[in-house]
Amino acid sequence: MSFVTVQHLEKHFGEQCVFENINFTIEQGEFITLLGPSGCGKSTLLRSLAGLHDVDAGNIWVDGQNITQLQAQQRDIGMVFQSYALFPNMTVQQNIAFGLKMKKMPSAAINKQVSKIIELVELNGKEKVYPQQLSGGQKQRVALARALVVQPKILLLDEPLSALDAPIRKHLRQQIKAIQTELNLTTLFVTHDQEEAMTLSDRIFLMNQGQIVQQGSAEQIYTQPNNAFVAGFMGNYNLLNALQASQLLGLNINGQLAIRPESIYVREIGREYAPHISKPTPAIIQNHQLLGNIIRYQVKTQGCELCVDLLNRSSERLLQPGSQLELLFNLNELQQVS
Amino acid sequence: MIKSDQLYHYSVVYGICGLLFLPILATFFYSISSSWGATILPDGLTFKWYLMLWQDMRFIDAFSRSLLISGAALLLCSLLILPLLFVVFYYFPKLQALFNLLILLPFAVPPVVSSVGLLQLYADSAFPLVGTPWILIGTYFTIAVPFMYRAIANSFSSLNLNDLMDSAHLLGASTRQAFFLIVLPNLKKGLLASLFLSFSFLLGEFVFANMLVGTRYETLQIYLYNMRQTSGHFTSALVISYFAFIFFFTWLASRFSRGTQQ
Repeated sequence: MSFVTVQHLEKHFGEQCVFENINFTIEQGEFITLLGPSGCGKSTLLRSLAGLHDVDAGNIWVDGQNITQLQAQQRDIGMVFQSYALFPNMTVQQNIAFGLKMKKMPSAAINKQVSKIIELVELNGKEKVYPQQLSGGQKQRVALARALVVQPKILLLDEPLSALDAPIRKHLRQQIKAIQTELNLTTLFVTHDQEEAMTLSDRIFLMNQGQIVQQGSAEQIYTQPNNAFVAGFMGNYNLLNALQASQLLGLNINGQLAIRPESIYVREIGREYAPHISKPTPAIIQNHQLLGNIIRYQVKTQGCELCVDLLNRSSERLLQPGSQLELLFNLNELQQVS
Repeated sequence: MIKSDQLYHYSVVYGICGLLFLPILATFFYSISSSWGATILPDGLTFKWYLMLWQDMRFIDAFSRSLLISGAALLLCSLLILPLLFVVFYYFPKLQALFNLLILLPFAVPPVVSSVGLLQLYADSAFPLVGTPWILIGTYFTIAVPFMYRAIANSFSSLNLNDLMDSAHLLGASTRQAFFLIVLPNLKKGLLASLFLSFSFLLGEFVFANMLVGTRYETLQIYLYNMRQTSGHFTSALVISYFAFIFFFTWLASRFSRGTQQ
């Protein structure tokens, strides 16, 4: 059995169905993103997993235990809210220690754990500060620390970055991923930002109108959308009907066709190609990040590390860390700087 | 140009303040003068009126009764309003509109009318309430409720109550623990500000005290009214003592409400 198993989950608010027939499994240590447009039911699903909403039908299993009927207090689930939800009457240290105090842990052990987690989220020196005196990014790190310190079985993140500005958001995103990897923590992250989903997740569950319409790795969802909604939501797919597609490609095509902008090749009429291209240089892939229509590789070559962007074409399969390749440089585009 | 403008504004503000402060200043001087009759300046300065006042057991009793009744009414108010508001804001937020309306009712009826109504209502009651402090505590409760409700409701609105409760629950706290450890400390400033403010005006309340209880349970205002025939210096000392007390409580209230805004 998987670490988390959700079967036939269903939730209604009065007459309105928020989600139904939700089924998925998550392995321990996986980073899953619930992605979807506003109002698709992803936050309600997350809150139902946390026990903050009752469900109308279905079961939730975590670590072999059916937690569907358990109170939020008994589920061993940590959650970070978009609004931070820090306790204004408590300092950073008291906020983080709150969960441990509720567990009636001795104060020496609490202090030790709290200082360890404060170091992990880089909040040293802010222990005695009240939430009102912190920046948005710092508040969110306190919220993260508070959820992590109780060592939950699952960490739920409900759009934790949406209230932050771009640079802080990017930094915190990397920090969350690094901490999750370090602690091997099963994490469910809710967002409506596809770039965020693709850079962070091991797998993405894409939701629409209360249903999970597709689940898979970022690459699978991006390159193989299984319906028009997924194609429309991920990237800037060109959606063509059968007639348009058949006319354009001269093929017999049934149903809709989705074409990603980057899988269209362009050749300028009359332009001479093969300009000043350098000789091939061997390199090794260190890491990769999927940024939607771009794959960003960190590569190591001849004693230096480079950042290389490739268009995300299906013909260019995603190269894994450790893969060998050759780099070519357009000598006309090298820029000397002082 | 700016400077002369400022000078004009300052002079208007300080002029009005001075004018309003003049009667209090005059009362104060009158309370510390031995006698002040046909002369421009008092004959001499003395604290004997204050000594006489603070040594009068009837005054001490009246003052204690006022403190007791106002305190009891406010305690009752807090005990009822805090849980009520928590339930309304957390479980039934839709009821807020209804409560906002209900809470204005005590303002709709003038004190004289409602005191006559109360007298009629309780005159033939099985429990003899009229003339006892109990009816006064009940009445003071109803007039303090709107002030307390508004101030505490504002504090509740400024809290992100649902998320705070949810995160407390997820961290293992029960609803009761969350209320006492998180919600209540965050309402403290609003609660204290409204308590001090309500305490100040309850202490000065005269109409209900006079109509419902009168001399049967002499409060501070009734005592002041009964003492109006004695020496003016004595009543001035009483008014200044009372004013100093109210001033202190108003200052406390404004200090706490400043804290709430921050």
